[in-house]
Amino acid sequence: MISSLAIIALAALIHASFQLSISMLTLLSGHAIGAKTAHAKLLRLTTGFLLGVVVMTLLVLCFLAFLFQHFFGTSAPSLAWAIGCGLVFGLGVAVWVFYYRHEQGTSLWLPRNVARYLSDRTRATKDSAEAFSLGLSSVVAELIFIIAPMVISALVLIHMTPYWQLAGIALYTVISLLSLVVVHGLIGSGHKLSRIQLWREDNKRFLQFAAGGGLLVLGFYVYVDQVLSATAFASGGF
Amino acid sequence: MALHAVDIIKQEGRRETEQFQRDKLHASVRAACLSVRSPEGEAEMTARNVCDAVIEWLEEKREVTSSDLRRKATEFLTTFHPEAAYFYKHHRLII
Repeated sequence: MISSLAIIALAALIHASFQLSISMLTLLSGHAIGAKTAHAKLLRLTTGFLLGVVVMTLLVLCFLAFLFQHFFGTSAPSLAWAIGCGLVFGLGVAVWVFYYRHEQGTSLWLPRNVARYLSDRTRATKDSAEAFSLGLSSVVAELIFIIAPMVISALVLIHMTPYWQLAGIALYTVISLLSLVVVHGLIGSGHKLSRIQLWREDNKRFLQFAAGGGLLVLGFYVYVDQVLSATAFASGGF
Repeated sequence: MALHAVDIIKQEGRRETEQFQRDKLHASVRAACLSVRSPEGEAEMTARNVCDAVIEWLEEKREVTSSDLRRKATEFLTTFHPEAAYFYKHHRLII
């Protein structure tokens, strides 16, 4: 059980190192502060955004776990684990190669018209309900990368008893939101956005390395733990 | 400070050209200053100074591109308020 929770925690940490939601939260706060929005309203907007991210993260993880449980029951076959590991390895390399664009700022891999659309929507967001849906869309927009840790977590979840499944889902959601909660806290406590953005820009290569490296480590561990060891047991080697 | 009409070519001609509007530049610089939590008075004064400097630069020009205008405004803003200039320059490069 501890090893299952550890896998979920590592996957969630990797999820937390992806930056689209943080970029959108920074931009949302920047526009709100620039438009002289009252601090209470700024907090409502950023909290609405955060709740949107929480809800969509929960929904996607639960959906994947439900899907896997429907197809595999309570034990995923080695083939599913192997496919999951392949996805994690592939995305790990992809994160290293093109997660951030090779230009100033923290612009991400997103096609420029999508980035412009998200940026315009963020600028147009004026109330908490819009901020909530923006939070939902930020998770969907980054699904191509966060799908890997979520698939692994969902595969782990189906092995657990229902109570532990709930604990696993809660653990994943809380850890994956840590970075966003920290930025939300910094904005709420009056820190300058320029400092937050400067820190993000200065450390973007490290974050990219950590996210890609984390995915490779996760993929390797899960492959050995779930595919190689299962094959070895099945062939009677141990 | 008055200025003759100057055309702003947007996105290298992909969007419709429009005339330079001091108010628009003023609002964007002011918003950048407020975004980094400058007091309102300081934001107003900085925006005014940047607009004046940009208008002086535009005096002998008939048309400029929006990216040149932004680059120049950033340059002037850097002298008045470096932190706001950083945010002004990078706000399109956050996502």
